[in-house]
Amino acid sequence: MKKLIAALLTGAMTASLLTGCGGSKGASGVQSATSDITKVLRVCLASEPDHLDPALNSTVDGATLAVNSFVGLYTYDKEGKTVPALVTDTQISDDKLTYTFTMKDGLKWSDGSDLTAKDFEYSWKRAADPSTASDYSYLFDVFAKDSDGNINVKASDDGKTLTAVLAAPCAYFEGLLAFPTFMPVKQEAVEAPADHETNPGSWASEAGFVSNGAFTLKEWKHNESMVYVKNPYFYDADNVKLEELDYMLSSDDTAMYAAYGADNLDFIDSAPNDELANLKDKDDFYVADQIGTYYVGFNVNSTLFEGKTPEQANAMRKAIAYLVDRKTIVDNIAQTGQIPANTFIPDSMSDGNGGIFKQNTDSYTYPDEASAGYFPIEVNVDKAVELLKEAGYEFDENNMLSASTPITLNYLTNDGTAHIAIAQQIQQDVAQIGITMNIQQEDWQTFLNDRKNGNFDIAREGWLADYDDPVNMLEICAPNGDDSGNDDMQLGLNSTEYAPDWSEYIDLLAQIKSETDSANRVSLMHKAEDMLMDTGAILPLYYYNDFYLQKGNVSGDYVNVFGMKYFMYVEKSAS
Amino acid sequence: MAKYVIKRVILAIVSILIICAITFFAMNAIPGGPFNSEKAQSAAVKAVLEARFHLDQPVWKQFLIYMGNISHGDFGVSLKTGRDIWQTISESFAVSAHIGLIAMVLALVCGVILGSLAALFRNKFPDRLIVFLATLATAVPSFVLASLLLLVFCIKLKLIPVWSSYNPNYILPVISLSLYPMAYITRLTKTSMLDVLGQDYVRTARAKGVPIVGVIFKHALRNALIPVITYVGPMTASILTGSLVVETIFTIGGLGSKFVDSITNRDYTMIMGTTIFLAVLMVVVNLLSDLVYKLVDPRIKFE
Repeated sequence: MKKLIAALLTGAMTASLLTGCGGSKGASGVQSATSDITKVLRVCLASEPDHLDPALNSTVDGATLAVNSFVGLYTYDKEGKTVPALVTDTQISDDKLTYTFTMKDGLKWSDGSDLTAKDFEYSWKRAADPSTASDYSYLFDVFAKDSDGNINVKASDDGKTLTAVLAAPCAYFEGLLAFPTFMPVKQEAVEAPADHETNPGSWASEAGFVSNGAFTLKEWKHNESMVYVKNPYFYDADNVKLEELDYMLSSDDTAMYAAYGADNLDFIDSAPNDELANLKDKDDFYVADQIGTYYVGFNVNSTLFEGKTPEQANAMRKAIAYLVDRKTIVDNIAQTGQIPANTFIPDSMSDGNGGIFKQNTDSYTYPDEASAGYFPIEVNVDKAVELLKEAGYEFDENNMLSASTPITLNYLTNDGTAHIAIAQQIQQDVAQIGITMNIQQEDWQTFLNDRKNGNFDIAREGWLADYDDPVNMLEICAPNGDDSGNDDMQLGLNSTEYAPDWSEYIDLLAQIKSETDSANRVSLMHKAEDMLMDTGAILPLYYYNDFYLQKGNVSGDYVNVFGMKYFMYVEKSAS
Repeated sequence: MAKYVIKRVILAIVSILIICAITFFAMNAIPGGPFNSEKAQSAAVKAVLEARFHLDQPVWKQFLIYMGNISHGDFGVSLKTGRDIWQTISESFAVSAHIGLIAMVLALVCGVILGSLAALFRNKFPDRLIVFLATLATAVPSFVLASLLLLVFCIKLKLIPVWSSYNPNYILPVISLSLYPMAYITRLTKTSMLDVLGQDYVRTARAKGVPIVGVIFKHALRNALIPVITYVGPMTASILTGSLVVETIFTIGGLGSKFVDSITNRDYTMIMGTTIFLAVLMVVVNLLSDLVYKLVDPRIKFE
């Protein structure tokens, strides 16, 4: 027995030695810049970002990284309004086409060098250049362009002023000026790597790059963590109380929730779906407004509509919209107090004329006046049956679809607990009148591909606005190949006789983009949404909102309606 | 011996080339692409990106270009992030290998000791206990074990942070990674040890008065380890390259998640890089374990 104990002890010792060595080696890494935990904010938004170059970013979590380490001419304040950041004065010409910005004095990059209007001229031209391959290069389409396609922006010789000329008045231009794609990057830094021409983001692919925002990236352990430290050259550095901003890089809801629960994180952007019901009544659970719509889209060229007239096909699609129980989806699946949707353009979106778009006005009334939308939120089976009868379907006395005219739908969605649950709810909703719906679940890339190519009858869709203007939503339904369209609903492809005629919509979009009268523009946008909703191709479910969890000792941060979180003015008390 | 090694190396190169070709054509055949996103890219941007990465060429031509590039060590950059493939793989491999190596040594040392003990105390209490624990460890999947460890040590006891930007803690990942192979090695060692203990030369040694511990460690273990070596080869490759589950649960920037992520993202250069890396590692490890055989058991002849 003695020998046994000796052997076991040897084993245990070896084990503890080995693991011990693992632990100590990990601990010999970098030490925190500050030992005061109230000066460090620890956050988890998502996994490893693709790009930290603000011009190349195309994700919401990447935009949060961008707004905390870069700053554009404008920024968002706590109230969610765009306010000047790096400019002291903005002159707008009477025709609203020419903007002249006067830069603040003494602006610096994080390396201490001067930041001038010339940096903006360079950065904007770079982001607009197709060879930079920015996903958001189309945002620069609002600029007037010369014959070579270069955008019309010019810095004065002394670098004090920047003049931008637009192609048409742009109601949301200030929003763009605060958007990551319009943030400045330093030319010498960008062009330092040897491969900068073929790999434009390479300068910001490791820690230590030059920026001009509140924090600069000091350390980046890929797929593990990022440590940002305060930038003393930030234009508003006096008001930045934090010394350090640490990000955990994980997209695993459970892992980030565990770290938050163990007090290793102060702020998380996501939580497991199963936990939402418990979390939403707690004090550290916050919900912010967000501009976006979760919807379901029909493939207007699907064989489902074969043999129907375009009007009958519209009626079929609209019938389904009356069957879906949006309240149940919001209450039981989405769960964070989202508002059920009956329009495509989100309820909190501005109209570009000083008001909110989704409201009845003197000049425009929604088809369902009471709810200011296209249909009431409540399920209306009778209306659905009536519409389907118009489309040539037969029903028995119990409002069940007759066996002689069956409907079978193929619903396409990507993986994700909530997406699947929503699909199942819709499946159940349409079954009440005898429609069969099959759910086809695919991995993200296969899903994108099938959706883009129209290999579906009905598919999950969603869009979070990039800027606060209805055009950003409307142009999604422009045909493929158009710079900003995605057209998953296959509108405008007109390959079938039963698809709606879409040329008028395309003309309307062009008209909206060049309209100089704001009130007229609002009317045109209502007209476009009317056209879109009349096809029934879009079946809105709810307007997105944005929840997050934040410890009680953290204050001063804010979120804008695009989901970007501003952490620079955080104050943290000792728990 | 040298002839054998050369033959094996040539064979290895051929199999890696075949793996490259199959992977390249298979990944191009699956739907989707690296630049797909929710919103369509502008035609100009799409054209630039496709030309930059030769995606506008026919697949066989892309394959030749790729093989040409890697023949002089250029694995390209990730289509998704623009980071150098080779740098990304070597960095994350360093993380995985650091944890993996500790886990492997732990599994090997404890597994062999426990297996020998179980054989020695056959059908007695220590044997029963060890076999019970080994069965349990084999049956519990790593994601359950890792979550359990996280719950107990990080959340309930708060002994170890779930995540920390400064002190990444590798104790729990090491335990999660090592338990399954440890159990497997324990069982392997026990079985083959029992086999060896019944052999004549062991009985002779015992008859000559050599103490049992001496018999085990000096005479029996060497022969009993041959099956273990067969297992250790592939295990090394799989443990060193990390585990998606353990990396996700403990937020470790290892190589394990790269295999899956690269395919999810259709990041073609990363898919090729990780595949080639794993293939080479597998081949090298298998070759080494075959050579170790020879050292342990001189009866084995290379054909």
